[in-house]
Amino acid sequence: MSILIDDSTRVIVQGITGRIGSAQTHWMLEYGTRVVGGVTPGKGGTNVEGVPVFDSVLEAVKETGANASVFFVPAAFVLDAFLETIDAGIKLIVVVPEHIPVQDVIKMRSYAIEKGVFALGPTTPGILSPGKGKMGIMPASLFAPGRVGIISRSGTLSYEFAGILSEVNVGQSTVVGMGADPVVLRNLADILELFEHDNDTDAVIVVGEVGGEQEEKAAGFISRRMTKPVAAYIAGRESPQGKRMGHAGAIVRGTAGTVVGKQEELKAAGVEILESPIHVAKWAKKNKLK
Amino acid sequence: MRLHEYEALDIFEQNRIPVPRRGVAGTMHEALQIAGEIGFPVMLKAQVLVGGRGLAGGIKTASTPEELKDMAEQLLSSDIKGLPVRKILVCEKAAVERELYLGITVDGYSGKPVIVVSTEGGMLIEETARTFPEKIASIHIDPSFGYYPYMARSLLRMLGLKEKLITPWSDVIGQLYNVAKRYEALITEINPLVVLPNGGLLAVDAVLEVDDSALSRVRFSLPDRIDRIENPLERRGREIGVTYVDLDGDIGLISSGAGLGMASMDIIGEKMKPANFLETGGGITADLLYRCMELIMMKPDLRAIFINVYGGINPIHEGAKGVVRYIHEHNVKIPIVAKALGNRQEETWEIFRSAGVHVVTETATEKAIDKLYELVGRG
Repeated sequence: MSILIDDSTRVIVQGITGRIGSAQTHWMLEYGTRVVGGVTPGKGGTNVEGVPVFDSVLEAVKETGANASVFFVPAAFVLDAFLETIDAGIKLIVVVPEHIPVQDVIKMRSYAIEKGVFALGPTTPGILSPGKGKMGIMPASLFAPGRVGIISRSGTLSYEFAGILSEVNVGQSTVVGMGADPVVLRNLADILELFEHDNDTDAVIVVGEVGGEQEEKAAGFISRRMTKPVAAYIAGRESPQGKRMGHAGAIVRGTAGTVVGKQEELKAAGVEILESPIHVAKWAKKNKLK
Repeated sequence: MRLHEYEALDIFEQNRIPVPRRGVAGTMHEALQIAGEIGFPVMLKAQVLVGGRGLAGGIKTASTPEELKDMAEQLLSSDIKGLPVRKILVCEKAAVERELYLGITVDGYSGKPVIVVSTEGGMLIEETARTFPEKIASIHIDPSFGYYPYMARSLLRMLGLKEKLITPWSDVIGQLYNVAKRYEALITEINPLVVLPNGGLLAVDAVLEVDDSALSRVRFSLPDRIDRIENPLERRGREIGVTYVDLDGDIGLISSGAGLGMASMDIIGEKMKPANFLETGGGITADLLYRCMELIMMKPDLRAIFINVYGGINPIHEGAKGVVRYIHEHNVKIPIVAKALGNRQEETWEIFRSAGVHVVTETATEKAIDKLYELVGRG
């Protein structure tokens, strides 16, 4: 098994007729993903890369038996399409686009959680399970099948970590981009829990970054619930402090979201801190991962 | 987009939040005129988009026209944390019985708006949050239902404030929530929220940061975001559609993701110093990378350039064409190291190599920075 995506995953691509949607459909199909349909309102009846296009998500689900959706929809239309997708019964949604208003994301997150839908993003490269398939934009050449899980706030850094591991013949079970926005559709701890219960994952790498409190909250989950080894890298040591105004965030969190603060909390939870990405190779060797 | 205090106060006033009498001055004479209309004493507040303004000497009280002249001239010719003071806010000095704190922000972890209040308003509010957490109270708002007045009542009691404050307190929280919603605020804040001797409340300061992703649907007539960026290179970055942050070092950086860019800076920072942070986002074209090269080369005395990009959503072979065109047109002599992996990587490497760019084909950014260090040391 892997998490979120496996042989039973039947994917529709929303915004499939757009420039990025059609290009990424090509790459997903080439990777062996079961892309069964696409949706662009007004373009029903056409096809992209041999995949049938429908006018609505409901129609696509009825015709193809789709159970997952990946979004390449313009930011302004994502909220509308997202609610439509949940109402059509899809249970896994990957929202790739960036620049979605936070007020929209808040509504999306609330509705997804209420309806028991697992959603990732916004601003995520998606999910990739080596040899099984991918939903999103991850470039396939960097990944190899294996037993290490990766969760990353940054898209490009998820590629970097997978690539470094693949070079030393350590493969990945699933690589998950959780999204880079201030509010994401699923928190880090929720994804860690999936890896903890996945029989094909032996250890997990968390790739975090300065700001917010995802890593701090995940540290609590790791110390209470994780039995598998976890390593973490936090980017942003050299990033200048933002020209911050307003205090409400820091006051309610009681933490400033610094790199050092995150590292200390994770370390206290038993996580091995990687000072630099390349150290992940040594960590994998030490833990005899493959 | 962060609004200036005077802009946010206008918006607060339009939304029936009580604010002081005030005016904005760009010269000492304007300040004097406004103060004459309001009556002394007045507060003079530097209008710069940076936190910690009070502690940096940007807020003063003038009791006489003579004092005002000196203070206004001094403020208008000063910098606060590196930002020039172009305007000052002249406002009525309220009679303060007590200073409270009120802020509404988005709690990223719960994915909900949160109202935060404190009995200890003022400049040291974050310190208070750490040392006296009992003086802070907060309530999260369910996005399906929004704000209801019981929240204000609960917060009042949680802080142990007097019941007679309930009407102005509920009004100001309700109105601030409306502002947060209507202007799609990432944060909006009143610090201090002053309790007046007559039992009323007055918003003596105003913070409002609008979600950049929502700017196109927020209705107001304010100068564009771009005019608020003081640094010319950062402004140029915004114009061409990339995130550029100006730094002190001499190694230019182009990356195709914020996380990758930050990690690159961390690694460069071990032995050298980055000149900038530049993140392209997912819209790389040949023209965009040409303009990125133009932008990072505006910085004098650059010793080398590091390009770190992945081809997931980005056509990196197109990006490489833009870089190479720039190198040829401007006869770039400093060493350039590129790490470009993902879709169409081999094609991308060929293009880079044709212009003498050092291509590193291993995944780890550390390897590329080692190469860069070697080249810089040699040059």
